[in-house]
Amino acid sequence: MNRIRIALFVLAVCAPSLASAQALKFEEAASLVGASCAKDIDDNCRGVNFDPTRLKECLYRNQDVVSAKCQADYPRAFSAIQQRITARTTLMKLCNWEMNHLCSEVRTDPAKGLQCLLDSTKKATGNCNKAIAAAGYR
Amino acid sequence: MRLRTIGLLLGVLAIFAVPVVGRAQTAIPAAEIIDKLTAADDTAPDVDVAALKQQAVDRIKAKADAQQVKRPLIAPQLTKLTQVRFDIQFDPDSSLIRPGSYGMIGSLADALSDPKLQPFKFLIVDHTESGGRRDANLTLSQRRADSIRDVLVSTFKISGKRLVALGLGEEQLQDANKPAAPVNARAQIIAFGKPDVVEPKPAAPAAAAKKGAAPAKKKR
Repeated sequence: MNRIRIALFVLAVCAPSLASAQALKFEEAASLVGASCAKDIDDNCRGVNFDPTRLKECLYRNQDVVSAKCQADYPRAFSAIQQRITARTTLMKLCNWEMNHLCSEVRTDPAKGLQCLLDSTKKATGNCNKAIAAAGYR
Repeated sequence: MRLRTIGLLLGVLAIFAVPVVGRAQTAIPAAEIIDKLTAADDTAPDVDVAALKQQAVDRIKAKADAQQVKRPLIAPQLTKLTQVRFDIQFDPDSSLIRPGSYGMIGSLADALSDPKLQPFKFLIVDHTESGGRRDANLTLSQRRADSIRDVLVSTFKISGKRLVALGLGEEQLQDANKPAAPVNARAQIIAFGKPDVVEPKPAAPAAAAKKGAAPAKKKR
């Protein structure tokens, strides 16, 4: 019983690190694929470049022989990359109010608009701030 | 009983203590890339990518500057621009990026996505060390530069309008005294002004890319 409690406690302590997998940087996610799947890619996907569609498809197609570590890590890594891209794509929509009210002068310039948004996070709504964090800009 | 409990505890900890990210190759941190590249000013440098490609093809065709150690840089102006040099490992004679270099590409993607670098356009230049056929090396380096660009665009959704790929083969040796040194095979990313300032002209087809070109003998 005690052992179960200890294990549950350790899992609870480590849970944040699992959640943070959602917020991997591109470099961390890409390194994860490279580190966990290098041999599997060499053995089964020779000729496939680091392309999310083709590489994922190849690793999935060869799941019977792909290592357990790679099978565990590549969906997580590609998912993290995709989530960050999606967050960046939808950022301006989720921060529309902020763009209209805090950054209206520069909103037509994507780079300046984004910079203005990041400079205005103290005045931004909670949802917009969440979107900024999901996009990896903070 | 207590020992078994400790063992269980250590076992569970060990699972989570393994670094989330293992690295086969040390990537340059995105922050370092951002710091270096933001030093560029907004003005577009005077670089005609299509002309540079043609110049490299013509020089090889004419068999000019055959001696590697005496070969002048084909694009000396590039060395003066704000840039970061980085290593990407490829399969031999191929534009396939080795898994060990995925992290480096990811780090580039992190940097290029940063708001500070978003106003800029970038030139991705690939080089090869000397060895094998010059024309094949030129073609190979162009394919490799294209490959880096393709991954940044397809995997990380960096806008293709911001990235221009240029292969210079062995025509721009960083260390001409050691033409076969790996340092000559490093790639560069060069801040290249704003996207609406410079638009690349369509490149002339490289003679070396014609059907029948012999594969490079070199490997890296």
